[in-house]
Amino acid sequence: MSQTGNVLVIGAGIAGMKASLMLAGASNKVYLVEKLPIIGGKVIKNEESFPNLECSTCMVAPIQQDVLQNPNIETLTYSIVEKIEGKLGDFSVVIRKKARYVSLTDCIGCGMCYEPCPVSLKNEWEENLIDRKAIYVPCSGSLPNVPVIDSEHCLKLNGKEECNLCVESCAFEAINLDDSDEVMEIKVGAVILAAGSSTFDLSSLPNLGYSTLPGVYAPMEFERLFASNGPTLGEITLRESEKIPESVAVIHCAGRKEQKYCSAVCCMYSFKFARFLKHKIPSASVFNIYSDVCVPGKNYQSFYKSVEGTDTEMLYTSSIDEVQVSENGPGLKVTYSDASGSMTELNVDMVILAAALVPDDDAAELAEIAGVDLDSRGFIATVQDGSGSMETSREGVFVAGTAEGPKDIQNSVIQAESAAGQVMDIVTAEVSGS
Amino acid sequence: MEDKAGVEFVPSIVGFLCNWCTYAAADLAGSSKFALPPSFTVIRVMCSSRIDHNLLLSTYFKGADGILVAGCHPGDCHYGEGNYYARRRFALLKKVMETLNLDPERLQLSWVSASEGKRYAEVVGEFTEKIKELGPNPIKNSTRF
Amino acid sequence: MKEFEMREAGQDKNLRAKVGVYICECGPNIAGKVDLDKIIADLSQLDDYQDVELVVKKYGFLCSGPGKEFLEEEIRSNGYTHLVVGACSPRDHDSTFMGVCKKTDLNPYLYRIINIREHCTWVIDDKEKATEKAFSYIRGGISRVLRQSELFEKPLDINPDVLVIGGGIAGMEAALSLSGEDRRVFLVEKTDHLGGISLDLSGLLPGQGEIIKNKIDSVTEDKNIRLFLNTSVETVIGFLGNFEIELVSIENAETTDIMAGAIVVATGSSLFDPGESAHLSYSESDEVYTSLSVEKMFSGEGEARLRSGKKPSSVALIHCVGREEKNYCSGICCSYMMKLAGFFRNQSPDIQVTEFYRDLCLPQKDDQERYTEAEAAGVEFVRIKDISIKGTEVSFEKMNSKKSEQSFDMVVLAPAIVPSADTEELADLLTVPLDESGFFQEVHKMTNPVGTSTDGVFIVGTAHGPKGVSDSMQFARASAGQILTRLIPGEKLIPEVKVTEILEAYCTGCGNCLDVCVYGAIYSDDSRGISVVNEAVCRGCGNCYGSCPSGALRTKHFTNTQLYREVDEALR
Ligand SMILES: Cc1cc2nc3c(=O)[nH]c(=O)nc-3n(C[C@H](O)[C@H](O)[C@H](O)COP(=O)(O)OP(=O)(O)OC[C@H]3O[C@@H](n4cnc5c(N)ncnc54)[C@H](O)[C@@H]3O)c2cc1C
Ligand SMILES: Cc1cc2nc3c(=O)[nH]c(=O)nc-3n(C[C@H](O)[C@H](O)[C@H](O)COP(=O)(O)OP(=O)(O)OC[C@H]3O[C@@H](n4cnc5c(N)ncnc54)[C@H](O)[C@@H]3O)c2cc1C
Ligand code: SF4
Ligand code: SF4
Ligand code: SF4
Ligand code: SF4
Ligand code: FES
Repeated sequence: MSQTGNVLVIGAGIAGMKASLMLAGASNKVYLVEKLPIIGGKVIKNEESFPNLECSTCMVAPIQQDVLQNPNIETLTYSIVEKIEGKLGDFSVVIRKKARYVSLTDCIGCGMCYEPCPVSLKNEWEENLIDRKAIYVPCSGSLPNVPVIDSEHCLKLNGKEECNLCVESCAFEAINLDDSDEVMEIKVGAVILAAGSSTFDLSSLPNLGYSTLPGVYAPMEFERLFASNGPTLGEITLRESEKIPESVAVIHCAGRKEQKYCSAVCCMYSFKFARFLKHKIPSASVFNIYSDVCVPGKNYQSFYKSVEGTDTEMLYTSSIDEVQVSENGPGLKVTYSDASGSMTELNVDMVILAAALVPDDDAAELAEIAGVDLDSRGFIATVQDGSGSMETSREGVFVAGTAEGPKDIQNSVIQAESAAGQVMDIVTAEVSGS
Repeated sequence: MEDKAGVEFVPSIVGFLCNWCTYAAADLAGSSKFALPPSFTVIRVMCSSRIDHNLLLSTYFKGADGILVAGCHPGDCHYGEGNYYARRRFALLKKVMETLNLDPERLQLSWVSASEGKRYAEVVGEFTEKIKELGPNPIKNSTRF
Repeated sequence: MKEFEMREAGQDKNLRAKVGVYICECGPNIAGKVDLDKIIADLSQLDDYQDVELVVKKYGFLCSGPGKEFLEEEIRSNGYTHLVVGACSPRDHDSTFMGVCKKTDLNPYLYRIINIREHCTWVIDDKEKATEKAFSYIRGGISRVLRQSELFEKPLDINPDVLVIGGGIAGMEAALSLSGEDRRVFLVEKTDHLGGISLDLSGLLPGQGEIIKNKIDSVTEDKNIRLFLNTSVETVIGFLGNFEIELVSIENAETTDIMAGAIVVATGSSLFDPGESAHLSYSESDEVYTSLSVEKMFSGEGEARLRSGKKPSSVALIHCVGREEKNYCSGICCSYMMKLAGFFRNQSPDIQVTEFYRDLCLPQKDDQERYTEAEAAGVEFVRIKDISIKGTEVSFEKMNSKKSEQSFDMVVLAPAIVPSADTEELADLLTVPLDESGFFQEVHKMTNPVGTSTDGVFIVGTAHGPKGVSDSMQFARASAGQILTRLIPGEKLIPEVKVTEILEAYCTGCGNCLDVCVYGAIYSDDSRGISVVNEAVCRGCGNCYGSCPSGALRTKHFTNTQLYREVDEALR
């Protein structure tokens, strides 16, 4: 009688979490697979999200807690899907749960094990702005709040030394260096791909100086720099010089021409950055160098209008692709062509590049495993029947969020709920049809 | 601050924290092991708007030297607009406090979001310092109305 | 057998209570930072509570599997009337220990977790002070728990049927996603036909071809959708799971009463009146059209002709009409204007098409390619700072401040998408607020864009805000998802337990509380002259509490009596 099924959701960002909760609410059993040791996706990297500049943690943490505590959701962190065979209503899925070396049930997240670990390397989750140990959680406030051991760098696990320091420091016997990968096989009726997206590789644009000039930042780096649980505890200081920037240029549309689409969120996050900067450094001058302002929908333009002229000066360029960033003493020089086409120079301490949202590095691999088509840009393609259906080229496999294309949180959530709605609709149809 | 006898004044401070933002920030301060004054007691409520005048005044009569009410940033309230109401009620209460000979500075409303563990520790630390300056609550243990 | 049959504990001093107090060592995190044995000894000797027996114990790791089993067994064998757990944050493990209680006879609201880890042992270094503090917190917990009352879930019967208002593409998609053997949909449309504004569109964006027609057919054939054409909604009362609705026929004023568990609002939008824009002499010339009337020409005749009957040989497409006045960007106009440019070029390949725009807003992933194609095909794009028209004479200022004038055969305006005419009236009827742009306001812009503050009322399509057909349909399916997951035929709904109640004896009926509740959970009972909380709607925020001048409100599980106990212990 009960119309339920098992559903696999891949990716525990806002889209994957919302879809899982909706499905679980209707008593479907959900397997939520996340490749990182923590759930939450990109949104938890932002201190505040546009358009209201709402605290992202406050907004997302209750959702993360709901996911972790929901009896119908089995959250498999630090795991990857290796195989999806079968058809709608009857998929067999192989999942590899990577060895975490720390027990999710025994660890209480006290953090006593980090200190003794002698290994130190860059924390990728923090955009390499700070170091971490071989045993670590990506950031404070991680959920689940249980560390993982990076087996590649752990001295014991990579065979370099007989280290056992973390094990000795853990009062809960939560660490097991003999842990190994676990492969599990499950049956599901439908799949939702919510593996998110990445940002454009800025080092491929030499004119903008990213990765050669330390004062040039990628947008996620800036998000972490601003975050009060981030590497600088929210202080905006420049790398290397550790100086507080007095002038900042945000350059729009980095990678738009190369990707052949507008990412729809970069203007908004650029304006958000202007507000952040003025909030923390009231004396700073902030410039947005742009060619189009894309603020679609009823909620966005009023935010833009509230920063324009107050938090940032808007500098129009007739050619956003030809902006140059170069070294200028200790600072930076931005050269661009203004409205009349003449070259103009601007000296600043810091540059932030508004990078396009692009398919995740392993999107193609995921598409192959899931047996679905990609679109011409490398995002996961939907059936394109004009209805905005979230179904992919493979029946029973759906996509949601930025895995399908660039979008904001609102539209990611809409797609997640829409995909979950479609899944429930077919589950109902299957049951009443049979 | 020391009183005449040279004994350090340890203020009793109560913090009413909203479940969704500031309570979470307090947890983050805890798991980040930021030091906090032992004289500060956390009481959890679902939303800053739950705090009414009776509760606050009684808390002063019962002897609190200071009260911190903290919730989500304006616009972020889990229930939409609760914190706006809290703010309005506060403005009024501060007036009432004056008539009771209670320094309105003994009441503080702060917005602390869930990721602001460090700020939470700062807010609590600074408020505690301020109350130390102000000294003991003059209406402590006076009968209620 | 339970030894202590004591409910509403602590309120009647003659009854005995037996409180179990369990302190988690949390390895060194608690045990290493405080003197647990001293705390246990001191607690055991407390004589503050008359006729209350305290049992105080510690345990290594309470949230572990064996820990939970231990606790369960302890509750059973000791027959506790109340339970206090001194451990970590309720955000981590409140639900864990409530779950343990639920396995026993102990009502989970007679238990309390005390956060002595995050708020004490992790933040206070001095062991003596931390011990004192932990003791004080736990004592507060004991005092409070004795004032707590049993609370019970009150499952509600629900009606799974759904009312959809508006028969445009969004409303039809919502109806089709929801209708089924065990769920009827009432689809109410005020005109005499389905399809909404999309019917007038000349071929939608690529891929959207037959979609409107197909949906109209499916809706008409669906025996689980009851269609009411020429009908409007007259009254609505109720809440998620149980709405009573009165429909009225626009033709003959006949009324129909229906019941539904949820309401989907899909009443669409209309267009900004270009006459309101100071720069445009919209009504002065016959050859100035709105985008929608040109869409109609292409979809009707298949061609866009001037009033003279001739095909235009030059056309100006003017973007962003009303954007400044409305202070939002509709997000779809740039894209459909490029579609129209394509239609004009198809009908006369030599036509001169010029698009005057302020910003190119191309948020869908295909939009930019369409722009590149249009540009390559010879459509001229002119970015302007300012523009005015007089008849078909267009005066504009480019970004480089150069001013020019140009005359066209035809001028087409892209007016902003604005709320539809009935929006305000419907908002009143449904008690849903409008946002600053006049559209229905979502309950949360990011995490719940289809929900409204009236739980059970959802907004989809352009009734929510400007958007295209695909997005409108996604919103519709998202609302369907929310309804499918909450109104399950044959199952009951479990509303929030920690709600607020109004004590009749104290309430003067002043109505203050009514005004502050964002969820509309309070209504006035005129016959008794008091206000009443609908517990099925209340979320327990407690905002009303502070608004009541008579102290008539009680927020369950967060009563002042309960909070005072915590305050008392904190200030000892
Ligand atoms: C700098 C920046 C600032 C932004 N600011 C805002 C803002 O203020 N407001 C706003 O509305 N939007 C903002 N956005 C957009 C917002 O980040 C996205 O809309 C949102 O994160 C999309 O959520 P998602 O769930 O689709 O993807 P993600 O958040 O990327 O989550 C995807 C999840 O899937 C996991 N995953 C990936 N591959 C796999 C795999 N193969 N197997 C298992 N798991 C996998 C990832 O680890 C991740 O946890 C911003 C974007 C950027 C780049
Ligand atoms: C000129 C123009 C061109 C466009 N081109 C495209 C395009 O190429 N591609 C694209 O994807 N999108 C396009 N759009 C957008 C598209 O039209 C909308 O996304 C879509 O029509 C929204 O559908 P809806 O169901 O939300 O609203 P509507 O289509 O407006 O339908 C609303 C329905 O509700 C009914 N209604 C209203 N009030 C009440 C009431 N009180 N009681 C009962 N019924 C009521 C109305 O009669 C109507 O039938 C275009 C829009 C315009 C203006
Ligand atoms: S592994 Fe052990 S020491 Fe490390 S955080 Fe978990 S419980 Fe603490
Ligand atoms: S065993 Fe590995 S993870 Fe543990 S302390 Fe040593 S190097 Fe670090
Ligand atoms: S507690 Fe909140 S939701 Fe409930 S009636 Fe009062 S104001 Fe409304
Ligand atoms: S505010 Fe108090 S007295 Fe007035 S109607 Fe509400 S409950 Fe009754
Ligand atoms: S929920 Fe935090 S202030 Fe209302």
